[in-house]
Amino acid sequence: MRIGYFLSETVTNLRRNFLMTIAAISTVAISLLLLGGVQILGLIVNNVTLNWEAKVEVSAFLADNITEGEESALREDLTGFKEVESVTYVTKDEAFDEYKEIYRTRPELWENLPADALPASFRIKLFDADDAEEVAARIEGAPGVDDVRFGGEIIKRLLQVNSLLRTITFVMSLVLMIAAAALIANAIRLAIYARREEIGIMKLVGATNWFIRIPFMLEGIFAALVGAVVSGVIVVGGNTLLFSRMADAFPFLGPVFSFTTGEIVGVLAILTGVAALVGLVGSTLALRRFLEV
Amino acid sequence: MIKLTDVEKEYKGGIRALDGFSIDIEKGEFVFIVGPSGSGKSTLIKLLTKEEEPTAGEVYVAGKNLASLPRWRVPYLRRNVGCVFQDFKLLPNKTVFENVAFGLEVIGRPRAVIQRQVPQILELVGLGEKLDRFPDELSGGEQQRVSVARAFVNRPLILVADEPTGNLDPATSVGIMRLLDRINRTGTTIVMATHDHAIVDSMRRRVVELENGMVVRDQSRGIYGVGT
Repeated sequence: MRIGYFLSETVTNLRRNFLMTIAAISTVAISLLLLGGVQILGLIVNNVTLNWEAKVEVSAFLADNITEGEESALREDLTGFKEVESVTYVTKDEAFDEYKEIYRTRPELWENLPADALPASFRIKLFDADDAEEVAARIEGAPGVDDVRFGGEIIKRLLQVNSLLRTITFVMSLVLMIAAAALIANAIRLAIYARREEIGIMKLVGATNWFIRIPFMLEGIFAALVGAVVSGVIVVGGNTLLFSRMADAFPFLGPVFSFTTGEIVGVLAILTGVAALVGLVGSTLALRRFLEV
Repeated sequence: MIKLTDVEKEYKGGIRALDGFSIDIEKGEFVFIVGPSGSGKSTLIKLLTKEEEPTAGEVYVAGKNLASLPRWRVPYLRRNVGCVFQDFKLLPNKTVFENVAFGLEVIGRPRAVIQRQVPQILELVGLGEKLDRFPDELSGGEQQRVSVARAFVNRPLILVADEPTGNLDPATSVGIMRLLDRINRTGTTIVMATHDHAIVDSMRRRVVELENGMVVRDQSRGIYGVGT
């Protein structure tokens, strides 16, 4: 009977302040959408990093006058490093073929070059891309090694840009979240104001404060959770409509835009949890002062 | 049942409503609190339900020292102290039945109890036929009866009334007083603040007269008094 009472009171309150409730719900939805966006962005960055890290290689370009002894010594050294997964030798001819392949639409770049224009190299695959700098430094200047290159810089840049983007979006969603809590507090304050007479009588006849409070708290949490559902639908829908299609259309993006169900559920769980918190904070703010006497 | 000792009450801004007030009310008594406006009658009523707290002195209600009653226990105190006001304080969008039932619902009484007790009490106050009316369809006297019914439906030990006849004509007032008298005969202690000479004089109950927050007269079977 009590539960029935609380539920019907909650529904009545929500109806009486329909517009305010809608405002609160949409603010929650928008701010959660931003938060959801941040989470999805995080997943994308994660995928990108995993994907690119797998491709990070250190290339050691060999001097033309390298002796056979130097070459085999270097190969032995490299295979001995614990960070190194595999070492591939690329001959001058193979390097030139690759070069021709990359610039196949611009023959003027290679037509007049001799076939041995490019240096031979060792391509060193690492277990962990983070070690690239360290390994490169170690073989830099070794006898017979002309130059050492690794692709780590680009990834570093990318990660920096992404983390900045995440911070900005996170701060924005935080601000919106506070606004959502304030709006919920305001909606509840209005509901209380509309019913101050009733509340006065409730206190007069000995209703406990919790009995008076609970319907208003449920109202706040309800508004926030509806907001969470709206943003959740958009996140899941956006994921299926947009990202899956992009992954289909551009297969090389596939690994970037494909998330496991577990990851999506995780994002939704975060949204719901944050929404419940926002609703609770909003209603507590509104109720803090009105029950004194 | 009610005991106040050397109670002082000073509101913000330095207004002294009660100034060394003491009273002792036994179970089952019917006490009129009389005196001019601003003599502290309403403040006294508010102290009994812990709507206000005294600046000094002690207030005991139903055996409990209200100063040491924690805030969360106050609702339970109020379930033992029914209240009736000059302006009835009924909910305009609820029927007579619902208004009385509301008082029971909010303290968590089961539906079956409500269905049984509310018609009973409305019968007692003479509104057995008007359960489905709304307050604005009733006369002032009838509305006050609903208000008394709500205060009493829970069978409180004490009923406090702040000028319950203040908005009613003399004939209607007599009806309300008969009702309060009947409730008093069931053993309920009644404390009633009033201005109404005729009522006090006809009832001949204990009269406590206040002036400037002090008791100037305490008389069993008294009258309103002269000169006020």
